[in-house]
Amino acid sequence: MAQKEDETEESRIGVFICHCGLNIAGVLDIKELVEFAKTLPDVIYVKDNRYTCADPGQDEIRKAIKEYKLNRVIVAACSPRLHEPTFRRTVSEAGLNPFLFEMANIREFSSWCHPNTPKEATEKAKDLILMAIAKARLLRPLETMEVPVTNKALVIGGGIAGMNAALDLAEMEFKVYLLEKNESIGGHMAQLDKTFPTLDCSLCIEGPKMVDVGRHPNIEIIAYADLLSVSGYIGNFKVKIRKNPRYVIAENCTGCSECKDVCPIEYPNEWDIGLGVRKSISVPFDQAVPLVYTINKDYCIECYKCVDACGARQAINFDQQPEEIELEVGTIIVAIGYDIYLPYDNPLYGYGKYTNVITSLEFERLILAAGPTGGKVVRASDGQKPHSIAFIQCVGSRDINKYPYCSNFCCMYTLKHVIQLKEKYKEDIEVYVFYMDMRSNFKGYEEFYQRARELGVNFVQGRVSRVFEVPETKNLIIHAEDMALGQPIEVEAEMVVLATAAIPKKGTGEMARILNLTCGADGFFMESHPKLKPIDAPTDGIFLAGACQGPKDIPYSVSQGSGTASRAATVLSKPTWKIEPIIAVVDPDKCRNVTTKCGICAQKCPYGAIKAEEGKPAQVITAMCHGCGTCVAECPADAITQMHFTDAQIFTQIRAALKTNPEDKILAFLCNWCSYAGADLAGTSRFEYPPTIRPIRVMCSGRVDRDFVLEAFRLGAGMVMIGACHLPYDCHYINGNWKMKARMDALTPMLHKLGLSPERFRVEYISAAEGVKFAEVVREMTEQMLALGRDKIKAENEKLRPILEKMLKRKKII
Amino acid sequence: MPLQMLKRDTAEALTLEWFLHVRNYRLILDKNLCVGCQICTLACPKEAIKLEKQPKIQGEKAKHAKINIDLEICNFCGICDILCPYGAINVTVNGEHVLSVVEKESFPQLIRNIQADTSKCPVDCVECEEACPLDLIKVTRLTADGKVVEDIDSLTEKEKAELQVKIDIEKERCPCCRICEFKCPEAVMRVRKFFHGKMLIHPEKCPESCTDCLDVCPITGALFLSDKDKKVYVNEMFCVYCGACKVVCPVDEALELKRTKISHTPVRSGAWNKALERLASPIEMTKELKAKGSQKAMESVEKRLGWKAT
Repeated sequence: MAQKEDETEESRIGVFICHCGLNIAGVLDIKELVEFAKTLPDVIYVKDNRYTCADPGQDEIRKAIKEYKLNRVIVAACSPRLHEPTFRRTVSEAGLNPFLFEMANIREFSSWCHPNTPKEATEKAKDLILMAIAKARLLRPLETMEVPVTNKALVIGGGIAGMNAALDLAEMEFKVYLLEKNESIGGHMAQLDKTFPTLDCSLCIEGPKMVDVGRHPNIEIIAYADLLSVSGYIGNFKVKIRKNPRYVIAENCTGCSECKDVCPIEYPNEWDIGLGVRKSISVPFDQAVPLVYTINKDYCIECYKCVDACGARQAINFDQQPEEIELEVGTIIVAIGYDIYLPYDNPLYGYGKYTNVITSLEFERLILAAGPTGGKVVRASDGQKPHSIAFIQCVGSRDINKYPYCSNFCCMYTLKHVIQLKEKYKEDIEVYVFYMDMRSNFKGYEEFYQRARELGVNFVQGRVSRVFEVPETKNLIIHAEDMALGQPIEVEAEMVVLATAAIPKKGTGEMARILNLTCGADGFFMESHPKLKPIDAPTDGIFLAGACQGPKDIPYSVSQGSGTASRAATVLSKPTWKIEPIIAVVDPDKCRNVTTKCGICAQKCPYGAIKAEEGKPAQVITAMCHGCGTCVAECPADAITQMHFTDAQIFTQIRAALKTNPEDKILAFLCNWCSYAGADLAGTSRFEYPPTIRPIRVMCSGRVDRDFVLEAFRLGAGMVMIGACHLPYDCHYINGNWKMKARMDALTPMLHKLGLSPERFRVEYISAAEGVKFAEVVREMTEQMLALGRDKIKAENEKLRPILEKMLKRKKII
Repeated sequence: MPLQMLKRDTAEALTLEWFLHVRNYRLILDKNLCVGCQICTLACPKEAIKLEKQPKIQGEKAKHAKINIDLEICNFCGICDILCPYGAINVTVNGEHVLSVVEKESFPQLIRNIQADTSKCPVDCVECEEACPLDLIKVTRLTADGKVVEDIDSLTEKEKAELQVKIDIEKERCPCCRICEFKCPEAVMRVRKFFHGKMLIHPEKCPESCTDCLDVCPITGALFLSDKDKKVYVNEMFCVYCGACKVVCPVDEALELKRTKISHTPVRSGAWNKALERLASPIEMTKELKAKGSQKAMESVEKRLGWKAT
């Protein structure tokens, strides 16, 4: 890209150099910097201040803009991650577009990390100022965009988390659509008997909430329906939903159950985990909301007895078809919950093989008064109450071969089960719990554990190695290691209950695809930031509540439901939503998709924000673009520009950085969120490293074009480094780092082939917390650079230059 | 215990089972009783039952088709059990043979109208027992005090005159072929068929020396080989219209089988209407609907089939 084409008006640049007390001035020669800046073209005004960020300092900027008609402002001070917003505000108060401001980070990147080499540090600061000025010339005013907001919300999943989110939003007077896949809302909580640690009946406390949701004028429950597709962006989502046929007309059904009474067909009730049966026309449980019956056509024999029973209500319609509906919402809350691992694939426990081995959720349905056995805990083999039960913890969980994570609530529900058993059957039952660690943090939980111990439950710490069945009695022999005794033990029990792992809900991957979310290594949805945005999805306007983000107990899920409601309200309560203008823009004249089938940008965009229809130039959906710049680097025709980080701006930074003595410098491209922050941390931590590095900030490593690397070596750079967020999941733009990796994996061998020493180009993954690592990398690279020696580097560069020039000329970059 | 669905196939029986924690659904097909007719495959509302024809081995008798049931589809409703003319299928819930479709009157039962007025029986007559092609009849004689007499010839005439004859019939396995009635010398037996219909063999279309239909027919005498032209003919007097012959017939139009009416207990049931439609014909089904005055059902059938019943 020709760098001149962006220049229209004459630049009038003001440079403000901050002392930061002695933080900068104590190391760098401010006077020399001022004099240096004055010599640079287009620089109209240079001033140093003790504290530029303080009111008098800001005043000086505002005054200078007006007095000298400055149209670009540089502040050479601390990290833009700290004060860029401050100074943007300052310049805009003086009538200058905030995006015509640029910072030179001479504190974190120079004075703080090079205290013992003030001369070299000052030289580095000069380069940083030079780079900032070079970029500033090419800066363009940008306007923050506003998009209208539809003030309705969609909540996906009607479990306890989703219900709370829906209720809170509805109470704030927002219209809420509550989408539920099953026939009734309620989720897992409605399957449970009691809740820990209070032992109050689960449905007794959840039932009224379900009714509240069902009756709330602002909530529309769309149950027995699937999410088909979601398009649009924050404030403006378009959602397609398929309502599956119940063969019962919801408006006519009174929930009287007369149809169920005459229905002759029974089938295993998935609500009872297949322990009990339900009728072919029925509700999964009596308290279902909405209370609308459903015919399961997989089992129905169409005798039409239900039609007769329904009579004049005429609620049954065997010809009902699936119905697709479209909704418009401003935000989406995802609360699809979790599934329970069924250990059929683990022969150690004999699940599915031995009759009297069950999972905890199955046990839950057994001990529940409304369950298939009427609350009697009985063995499947003989229908008798067992006299001894063994509970085995961490089945699948905390197992590096299966699910390495802790499933969070199993310890507590097992404590609940053993207390229930002991209180119900007293001395008549012997209870064993085989556990690894008993995790009972949170309010009232440890006391609950104590209660179980006082009731005489046998807690055995140690992994179970094997369960065998005694064929005659169908009893089970548990082989385990007792860590207290330090030896293997054997226990015979009449029933075994497995506390199996909580796993991502079936369909989580599909949901991630539809909503453009990411899943972590454990398969659960990833949040935007594990600490500071724990309930935000990486896609703006989408929030995560409950166990779909990782296993959670009820109070935690409820809190998250309310939390997402409040987060969603920050969007819904506004008539419009502001969008950062640092986005990608396609030049339709250059886009190859017009003539050939390209669409690379659309494939590579981590957010699905680009549409590339055949025969038309690709189009960026502005409100969905997060401004990572990955598409810009990927575009084979250089047809895409990232605002505020244009090719021209970055090339001019490279050229400024390598203007003098390039073979003694390390040119680095650092992503804003991890490695740039890591470098900042090296500065604030005062980790000293050689002043050889010249960093260029990009929003995401995905933005780093291979041409940047080629240009750096063409100009004779000693070393080039790309700093990115850690793989696999740290990228703040979902997977920009992976895109960069693929690109550089292809480039590296080519450079080596052309004669570049391998150590001269490297990709480093440095997190915001790894200041030490950043300093180490710079130290190591500097040593390598010195070891190679100027002559060798120069010789390599001489050899490389004609080839690189040819490549870059072909792309009209030089 | 987690839900288990089991299917076992042995030489004797095909067993399908659902094990729920405290509930057990079981379907057993007794392969010794199954004749490979088409009734259950037509009757199954879920179309879970399929016939598997057995390849014919040259020089051997034709073998009747085998039945296979898809465990994924079967819902243990028991309609096959109800309609099997030979009582080969048995569906139980927790070991009890109580069918919910019957209890809830959503499916009728076949009427096996078999009467035996044993007062007219000659004491030494066992014609019916010997005639029954399926060995379902057992004739016993009892003394006045109810003792079973084994050796009748050792008794005096006077003693014989005091005996009572008892005829035990395994009714649930009886296809009601009426052979016993025909063979009975004293008109003691009275049997009414439950399947009514029409069965025709067009000998001119039969392949040369083919006796496949006769090979599989479970009712001795319903089909017979003519000495004249060595072709198989039908004696409709004994035919039970089960269709085992139709299944194995190698030629499309040589054998014509039509069921017209099925004697059943009265019910109003869509499932029965559909079964009747498949077992007999849509016309027969609409006739029955008309007779029952099921106006609404008639309308929906007319809509579905696109004709007006007359």
